[in-house]
Amino acid sequence: MENPKPRLLLVASGTVSGALYLLLYLYEREIMAAFTRTDGWFPVLPVLAAFVFSFAHGAFTGYFWEVLGIRALRKK
Amino acid sequence: MEHVAAQFIDLQYGNVLALLAIGFVGGLVSGFIGSGGAFVLTPAMMSMGVPGVVAVASNLCHKFPKALVGAYQRNKFGQVDVKLGLVMAASATAGVWVGADFQNRIKLDFGEAGSNLYVSLAFVAVLTIVGAFVLRDAVRVYRSGEADAQEKASRLALWVQSVEIPGTMMHFKTANIRVSALFTLPLGFATGVLASTIAVGGFIGVPGMMYVLGAPGLVASATELVIAFVMGFGGTIKYSLHGLVDIRLALILLAGSLFGIQLGAIGTTFVKPFMIKVVMAAIMLIVAVSRGLVVPVYLTELGRLDLAPSTMAWLQMASFAFLVLALCTGSIIIIASMLRGHRSGAITLREPAPD
Repeated sequence: MENPKPRLLLVASGTVSGALYLLLYLYEREIMAAFTRTDGWFPVLPVLAAFVFSFAHGAFTGYFWEVLGIRALRKK
Repeated sequence: MEHVAAQFIDLQYGNVLALLAIGFVGGLVSGFIGSGGAFVLTPAMMSMGVPGVVAVASNLCHKFPKALVGAYQRNKFGQVDVKLGLVMAASATAGVWVGADFQNRIKLDFGEAGSNLYVSLAFVAVLTIVGAFVLRDAVRVYRSGEADAQEKASRLALWVQSVEIPGTMMHFKTANIRVSALFTLPLGFATGVLASTIAVGGFIGVPGMMYVLGAPGLVASATELVIAFVMGFGGTIKYSLHGLVDIRLALILLAGSLFGIQLGAIGTTFVKPFMIKVVMAAIMLIVAVSRGLVVPVYLTELGRLDLAPSTMAWLQMASFAFLVLALCTGSIIIIASMLRGHRSGAITLREPAPD
C-alpha cells in the first residue's frame, strides 16, 4: 500500500520556511549589517543561517515533490 | 579586516525571480550529475552588479547546504559513498589552496586579462577532452544495447584496482571498489585545482571517480555532492571571515535550488545509468564552446589580437548565452529522461510478476 501523502508536514515545514524568508525580507538591513561583520563570532552567522534554511526549506521541498506524487522509483 | 558593506547591491524583484529560476535549474543539474550551476550562477550575479568576489562567496554559501540536502537525499537511495567523498574532499581542499595560489600568481604576472585567458583555456582544454571522452563512453553504452546493464569498469580503472600498494589500500563499500589512496589523492587534488580555477571541480571529480577509480556513474555523481559540501563549507568560512558573503543572494538561490536538487536526485532513480554521462557530456561540451568564444576577447585585451569593441561585446554575450544554453540543455534532457523513465517504470510496475 502506498504511504499517505504528508500534507500536514508540507504545511508545517512550509510555514517555518516561509517565516524564515519573511524574517529575511523584513530585517534585511539589520541582517546584512550583522552577517558582514568580521569581528568575534559574527562570521559564523552565514554558515548557521545556511544550515537552518537548508533544514527547514529542504524538508519543505522534499515534502512538496512527495505530495505532488514525484517519488523515487526504487529499482533495487 | 576591511568592511565591504558598500559592495552589496539593492535587490530588485526581477533579480530575485531570476535568482530563483537559475537556482532551480542549477539545483536540478547538481542533483542529477553532482555538480554544475556555479558556472552560470556566478556570472549571472555579476551581471546584476554583484562584485565578482561577493558572487563567488555567495555562490559557495548556497552550494554547501544545497549539496548537503542533495547528498542526504541520494544517500537514501543508496548512491553516496561517504568515505570516498571525504577522502577525495581532503585532497581536494589542498588542491583548492594550490590552484588559488597559482591563479594569484598568474594575475600578478599577466594581469586580469591574462588570468581570464588562463581560466578560459583551462575550461576549453579540460571540458573538451573530458566531455568528449564521457560522450564517447555514453554513446558506446547506448550502442552496445547494454544501457540497462550495470556499468563495466574501464580498462584504466581495472588496472588501478589491480595495483596493490601495502598500507595504502582502501575499500569503498558503496562504490564497491578497493583502490590505493595513492590514486585517490591526486584525483581529489586535481578536482580541487579545477574547482579553484573554473569553479566546477565536479567536471574532473565525477569522470575521475568513474573512469580512473571505476565507481558507477550514479555513485560518482552522488559522492561528488559530499566533496561539494566540504569545499563549499570551507570556502564559505574563508569568505565569511572577510565579510564577503551576501546572505540574501545565497538564501534566495537556495530557495530555488533546493526544489531543483530534490527533483534531480529523485530523477536519478528514474533513468538508465548512462543518462548521467549524457547530461554531463552535453553540459561540458556546450560550456567549452562558451569559454572558447571569449578567448579572442582576452587575447585582444592582451594586445595579441585586434577585435572591434562591438565584436568583443557580441562574443561576450554569445558566451553567456551558451552558458545558459548548457544549463537548459542539461535540464531538458533530465526532465525528458525522467518522464520517459517514469512511463516505462509505471509500465514495469503494472506488469505481473513472473511465476
